[in-house]
Amino acid sequence: MSHIEPAQTKEKAMDTVTPVKSTRRRFATTVTGLSAAVFLAGCATNAPQDTFVPKGPNAKLIDDLQMIVFPIAGIVGVIVLALAGYIFLKFRDKGQAIPSQAHGKPVVEITLTVIPALILTVVGVFTFRGIFDLAKTEDTELIINVTGQQWWWEYDYPVQADLGINQPIISSGQLVIPVGTKVLLRETSRDVIHSYWIPALNGKKDAVPGRIHLLRLEADKPGIYAGQCTEFCGLSHANMRMEAVALSKEDFAKWVANQQKPYTPPAAGTLAAEGETTYINQCSRCHQVNGLKDANGKPIISAPDENVYSGAAPNLSHLMSRNTFAGAMFDLVNEECRADVWGAKSEEFGAKYLKGVTEDCLNEKDLRAWLRNAPAMKPMYADPTKLEPTGGKYRGMPNLGLTEDDIDKLVAYLLTLK
Amino acid sequence: MFTPGSKYFLGLTGLSLVAAVLYMIFVNPSDMGAYALFGLMISGGLVAGFSFFTRDGDADTAQDAVEAASYAPGSSFWPLVFALGIAVVLLGLVTHQIVFVLGIAVLVGGGVEWAVQNWAERASADGGYNDLVRHRAIGALDYPGLATVALGIIAYLFSRVMLTASKSGAAVIFIIVATIVLVIGFAFALKPSLRGRATALTVTVGMLALAVAGIASALSGERAELAEYAEAKHYDKSHRECGEEEGKYYDHEANNTVSLRSAVLATVFVEDGKVRAQMIGLKKDVDTITIPRSNSTNILFRNLDEEDHRLVVNLGTEVVAETGVKEKVGTCTQLTGQNQEQVLTVKIPKPSSDEQVYSFTVPGAEGEIKVVVP
Repeated sequence: MSHIEPAQTKEKAMDTVTPVKSTRRRFATTVTGLSAAVFLAGCATNAPQDTFVPKGPNAKLIDDLQMIVFPIAGIVGVIVLALAGYIFLKFRDKGQAIPSQAHGKPVVEITLTVIPALILTVVGVFTFRGIFDLAKTEDTELIINVTGQQWWWEYDYPVQADLGINQPIISSGQLVIPVGTKVLLRETSRDVIHSYWIPALNGKKDAVPGRIHLLRLEADKPGIYAGQCTEFCGLSHANMRMEAVALSKEDFAKWVANQQKPYTPPAAGTLAAEGETTYINQCSRCHQVNGLKDANGKPIISAPDENVYSGAAPNLSHLMSRNTFAGAMFDLVNEECRADVWGAKSEEFGAKYLKGVTEDCLNEKDLRAWLRNAPAMKPMYADPTKLEPTGGKYRGMPNLGLTEDDIDKLVAYLLTLK
Repeated sequence: MFTPGSKYFLGLTGLSLVAAVLYMIFVNPSDMGAYALFGLMISGGLVAGFSFFTRDGDADTAQDAVEAASYAPGSSFWPLVFALGIAVVLLGLVTHQIVFVLGIAVLVGGGVEWAVQNWAERASADGGYNDLVRHRAIGALDYPGLATVALGIIAYLFSRVMLTASKSGAAVIFIIVATIVLVIGFAFALKPSLRGRATALTVTVGMLALAVAGIASALSGERAELAEYAEAKHYDKSHRECGEEEGKYYDHEANNTVSLRSAVLATVFVEDGKVRAQMIGLKKDVDTITIPRSNSTNILFRNLDEEDHRLVVNLGTEVVAETGVKEKVGTCTQLTGQNQEQVLTVKIPKPSSDEQVYSFTVPGAEGEIKVVVP
């Protein structure tokens, strides 16, 4: 057995203490730095998906609940962690004798059971009340079907004559609703499970194939509210975004009227007219434009069910009345115009949004890049050589191999779809 | 270690396996050639095993190779089970997957039992001790295995009897059998002296009776009603008659209760001879239902009238490829009684238009609900 002299022991101890201290210091610095970063992230002003900034009664209801529950949970958490820390430090192994082991302390056990039970009961009562309030549907004023698919949301507005919707409206990327109106979304999915979440307007709700889930939305003020699919749904889940646009009731009526306007073909001899032909040849297999007719005057009906795994592709009727494309991943308007709309005051917002995408506001760069090679812009299963698992059908938009001339014509044509 | 004979057959086994795999990849993965090559592989492997174990039939060498034991074991039926397994596996390869799986189960079970028995018989020169060794090694699996097989046989035979007897007869048989089991159970519980021989006798008689009844039932076939259902394909699309009258096949034994509630887009009612509809989430009647394109959608039909009704979805017309004639396309629920419900699932791939008009109607009732597909 080796024997170490006291002097040697001290020296060895000095040797070993320095690196331990250094490691601890590094660890403490890292943890403090990370905590500070997380804490400071809470101060971000440009946070459109902030869950603590409700903009409608449903989100407010959730916020009221979490503003009570979070502090309670926080206080309990701090007390528990502080006690645990105190016990770790106070009773750490210092070579002392193990204290005598006793079993049972009824007063402590009962207290520690009753207090959490009481807290949970109070939280439970308010939570259940909130859940039932959020599930109310009898006062619905507008219903919208919301269908998720990889990786975009489709909105269709069933006929509701009292709101001026005399023929169905179909859109994607941006959900348009009137302010102060109890909107009921009927969510479903065409392929896998998705989840719809506009944090400023309500909590999240899964969209499940074969089921219809109901979600209430209501906005207090005109504006754009951002959201994100919150159920992992495949390769481009992170790019499956959405925006809810709230308009005053008058502006919503104008939007509805515009969406029901019949198709106007571009003037003959223009670049846009050539673009219409290119669109018919290249795009109409999957993308419907309501009212578009072929050279014989026969309506062109797209067949996304034959080409796309989910059976659907965004309907591009009135495309330029929206601000986004490709599952709301890209803006149709350039940065300047986007900032103008997003930053508009409530009373000016409607007019700015309803202007749609004008030629000088078009985000031509992203739109052209998308038409040039969509899979390069957004990860999708769109490689024609790898479609065996889906029976030859695409998930997402493939590279169509368009020439720059084709793209010029298509951009000109798409700009007419107001 | 390996004898020349076993090497030859092992080579044949490996070659057969390679040939079978190549055949499946390049020729056809599921025809007789592949099955034959797999059969050759299994046979080759079996013979290689025998050849290896018996040292090519050289008794002296084999004797040297096997540890001497003065204990002479009795006969074993596990080789028979193993052989049966091989036969069933081969049969399964050319008939049905389930037969193949059954064969594998018999093969593995028989093989394991055979191997363990062989191993235990060489544990010592004491037969009793060897039995104990075998029991310790595998005894815990014997009873559950045998019980599973026995229960499977009982369930199969009993099901044959129930499928042959008439509906009311099957109920009576079930009641009688349950009563007999209950009475015998009570008798054994109250008179412990009855156990032993009486139990064995009861089980033997019961199993024999069940075997006779089951085999006789299997030979006579299912009751006429079931045979007719299978023959006539009651729920086949061709039998889906969507008129006002009761259809001969499709409406037979309609299931008028619906469990799905959270997956319904709209409900269509018929009340006082009139059709009306409500969309989920909107508490008022509508005359138009909007259905998302290319997505399976459930519509609930509720009949509030005294007369039986069915819901019909009209999906326009389609040119029949064989005849070139335009025919109506649509489908319907079964005939539904008063206060009963059925669900109609529709998936419409094309949008509605002036040329493509869709609707819900109820034969014998007034009105229609327009269907819009954006």
